[in-house]
Amino acid sequence: MTALLDADLLVGRDIVTGARLSGDDVAVAVAGLGIGGGLVTSLRALLFDAPSGNDEARAVAAAHGWWAAAGVDLRDPLTALAEVSRAASSDGTVRAVRLALDRQAVPVTAPGVRAVAREATAAGLVLLAEGDVRVVGPALAGLDATVVFLDAHFYHLGDFVLLARDEPGFHASTRLLGDVDGWELVASDVGAERLVFGSRPGWFEAAAVVDRLAASDLTASQRALVVEGNLRRLLGAGATA
Amino acid sequence: MIVDVHGHWGPWFFSTDVADAAANLRVMDRCGIDVQLVSAVEAVVYDPLTGNPALVPVLEATGPRLRGLLVVDPRDLSLAAAQLDELLPTGLFVGAKIHTHYAGSPGGSDAMAAALTLLAAHDLPVLVHTWGEEILGLADVVARVDGVRVVAAHLGGPAWQLTPSAASRTGRLWFEPCWSTPAPGRIRWVLDRIGPERLMFGSDSTLIHPAVTLGAVRASGLSAAEEELVMWRNATEVFRL
Repeated sequence: MTALLDADLLVGRDIVTGARLSGDDVAVAVAGLGIGGGLVTSLRALLFDAPSGNDEARAVAAAHGWWAAAGVDLRDPLTALAEVSRAASSDGTVRAVRLALDRQAVPVTAPGVRAVAREATAAGLVLLAEGDVRVVGPALAGLDATVVFLDAHFYHLGDFVLLARDEPGFHASTRLLGDVDGWELVASDVGAERLVFGSRPGWFEAAAVVDRLAASDLTASQRALVVEGNLRRLLGAGATA
Repeated sequence: MIVDVHGHWGPWFFSTDVADAAANLRVMDRCGIDVQLVSAVEAVVYDPLTGNPALVPVLEATGPRLRGLLVVDPRDLSLAAAQLDELLPTGLFVGAKIHTHYAGSPGGSDAMAAALTLLAAHDLPVLVHTWGEEILGLADVVARVDGVRVVAAHLGGPAWQLTPSAASRTGRLWFEPCWSTPAPGRIRWVLDRIGPERLMFGSDSTLIHPAVTLGAVRASGLSAAEEELVMWRNATEVFRL
């Protein structure tokens, strides 16, 4: 069986729950679920200090054979832009930039949002976007951006599909698409290429996503894209993870 | 053997194609669910006047794998009383369903107490949606309504850590864990505090794919004895299946 790659690995401390997870903790969380790695972001970068947090993410990624995503804090869009530049010059070590507007209480209309998205896109970096796809999606449209919406919920699936029809770079994470036919609807309407496995292990009951995958009506080739192929394509990653 | 105490029949207003009861049965087969207790979506989200009777021919056609939950709006107990008199003799309904949000009747409200009193008079167990701190108010109401048997759906959602406190207030309140955004380790945490006699499996299908909650249950690592109680025995005893 192909190892699952997860676009939504997170390390650090969540200030809402007070929970802390190190890279080793996340590795324990994925053990037994068939998740072999993925793209990791630091909550320190998203919530406190982006430069040192992103160093943390890179160290965790290196230690576990994962990829790193840069977290940017849009409360400080100048540093956020600098972190995008640092990610772009990382010689492929960092391949994505994570946006977390709700965590940072930043409105989607803040100028820094589109500025960071534009810079990241120009640098060939993937955007990982937390939050309501109906709100964040339109803000990232029209930029030719490649985006994975990490919190795309099946309640909002129709809106994601409408966005994705117009935006070839828009992708949905599997995590909250836990309805009866959401994965299948994405595959049939905009293509299985637009669905990326994400389960936020350690922070979310990732087994629920793994079991939804097992129960899906995707074909074998569609599954291969969702669990591994799409993320590798987005990251331009021939490298193992 | 799996009994699912939280199912629905009928179309949802989201982008999902599950209106036909065949969707219930197909997903039940996929997930190994033998019996599902279903309420009509129309009765939950719009009007029990039309929604409850619409379920009758569906239950007649599908046979015993789908059993009915009659939706009660605590704000209209005259309708509820009339429908109980009319529909319970069909033998198709094994319980009631109250959705606190759609019915504008929080778990701890006087209207809820009156509704539970009516259902207790019919010796009919009831599945009650719970979200947030209302799970405690519901527990207090259950404690003072003689004989009523209530299953608290969703464990209060994001307030799931209040479940042990709710369980301590009455022995006639059981719990059901479905949630589209399950926190990691939640079911084991709850089980270890309330005991397996108080938890029973529910999916919220066809809103949520049963695999989501089955995955969360799997992650809890049930013992054989716990599995028997949680996956079917508690349900068969409370709903007298």
